[in-house]
Amino acid sequence: MRMLRVGRWITALALLLLAGVYVRALAFTPVERLQGLAQKIFYLHVPAAIWAESAMVFVGLASVFYLFMKDPRLDRFASASAEVGTVFAAIVLTTGPIWGKPIWGTWWSWDARLTFTLFLFLLYVGYLLLRGAVADPATRARYAAVLGICGMCLVPFVHFSVYMFRTLHPMPIVLKPSAPSLPGSMLATWLFSFAVFTLLYVGFVTQRYALSYLREQLEAAAGDAGMGHA
Amino acid sequence: MPDWAKHAWRVARKDLLVELRARTGIVSAAAFVMLVLLAFNFGLDRTAVAAVDIAPSILWVTFTFAAIIALNRAFQLELENQAFDGLLLAPIGRGSIYLGKLIANLVFVATIEAIGVPLVALFFNLRILPYVLPLVGIIALATIGFVAVGTLFSAMTVRTRFSELLLPVLLLPFMIPPLMWAARATAGLLTDRPLSDIAGWLKMLAAYDIVFVTLALLLFPETVTE
Amino acid sequence: MPEAVPQNGGYMIAAYVVAAVILISYAVSLYLRTRRTLRP
Repeated sequence: MRMLRVGRWITALALLLLAGVYVRALAFTPVERLQGLAQKIFYLHVPAAIWAESAMVFVGLASVFYLFMKDPRLDRFASASAEVGTVFAAIVLTTGPIWGKPIWGTWWSWDARLTFTLFLFLLYVGYLLLRGAVADPATRARYAAVLGICGMCLVPFVHFSVYMFRTLHPMPIVLKPSAPSLPGSMLATWLFSFAVFTLLYVGFVTQRYALSYLREQLEAAAGDAGMGHA
Repeated sequence: MPDWAKHAWRVARKDLLVELRARTGIVSAAAFVMLVLLAFNFGLDRTAVAAVDIAPSILWVTFTFAAIIALNRAFQLELENQAFDGLLLAPIGRGSIYLGKLIANLVFVATIEAIGVPLVALFFNLRILPYVLPLVGIIALATIGFVAVGTLFSAMTVRTRFSELLLPVLLLPFMIPPLMWAARATAGLLTDRPLSDIAGWLKMLAAYDIVFVTLALLLFPETVTE
Repeated sequence: MPEAVPQNGGYMIAAYVVAAVILISYAVSLYLRTRRTLRP
């Protein structure tokens, strides 16, 4: 299947380039003086966070279009984006505390971004669980779309709550983990990493989409075979 | 009264009558609230925090869980009696079905809350009588939000295998922001903060209600199409 | 007198390893699931 092949090639390329990001970030990017080496986690954490959130937006949009057009391709894409979004959210939720511990002194501090990502992660998990719990493909697609749209509409409210919560509970830190302005070399590393994460998103979603399609083909074939014996 | 409102009320009345006759729902819910408050009492170090500071949070966490339990049964009636098709075949719009379910669920959850508020006041030694009216307002705003989303989701989860577990997992992310705003507004109210302080939370609750009731009305037909 | 740069390289390594593990595991999971579907 061509989409699968394309997806695999893109993913392979992205992983190779990721190794390049690692080398560049670890060995060829200057160390940030105030935070030390731990600051370099930023080059993985922030691109992952951007894609974890963007994936949710794509799930929401695909869900809206699906309910109008009922095109199964949109449903396949939504499901793929949700699964990949979960993976990226997991990266944010693991690298975040690892970065937080040396900088803030605690593993978890209800920082606005991490809390927001936790919400996102739980929305993704709910979405995937709902999909897993409904057997009929058409019903599954509709229900998932309903949840996807609700999730997308919840996001602005969560943003507000999380940032409101933060102003009520000041963070026990003085340093902020995101540099306000990046000197050239650091910016280049960040952009390189962001490009690679974008490629990873595309490669993963393409493969996951292909997997959905292949599974549907398999179920359809099994259905036909069953009918033949009826 | 317009047709859709009449139909919605019929659907609501049917649910409420069944509930009233059985009465098990209300009794279990009341017992649940009491037990949760008991658990909080023994779980918390009451000397560490003043009651008026922590009681609003406890109130709202308790209501959140009570609402989830109430919502789990929202479409249970139809499911158990294979009455879903009957409901859908009736010559009433999908929107009316949703509104009817929403009203019935709101009444049910409101009853639980009506039992819960005096209990919290009692257990935590709170003076709530001077604040009853605005408190009812805050509770109404938050409850509409919870129950609007919950009614929509329970229509989807009721026919799945682990529905009692799936509904909370889906619903809780949607209940946490209103929970936070309601808890803050309640805390502000009980500590005599000026209206300007509380107004922000109330506006968020109202915005949430408008968005999600509208969304639920638009999306409900998708959950019951066969 | 300028402060010494904090010595927290261990955390950096941990985070980079964890991220790599997650990404590679997912890539492998996709590959295996697809292979299983292609040859039932």
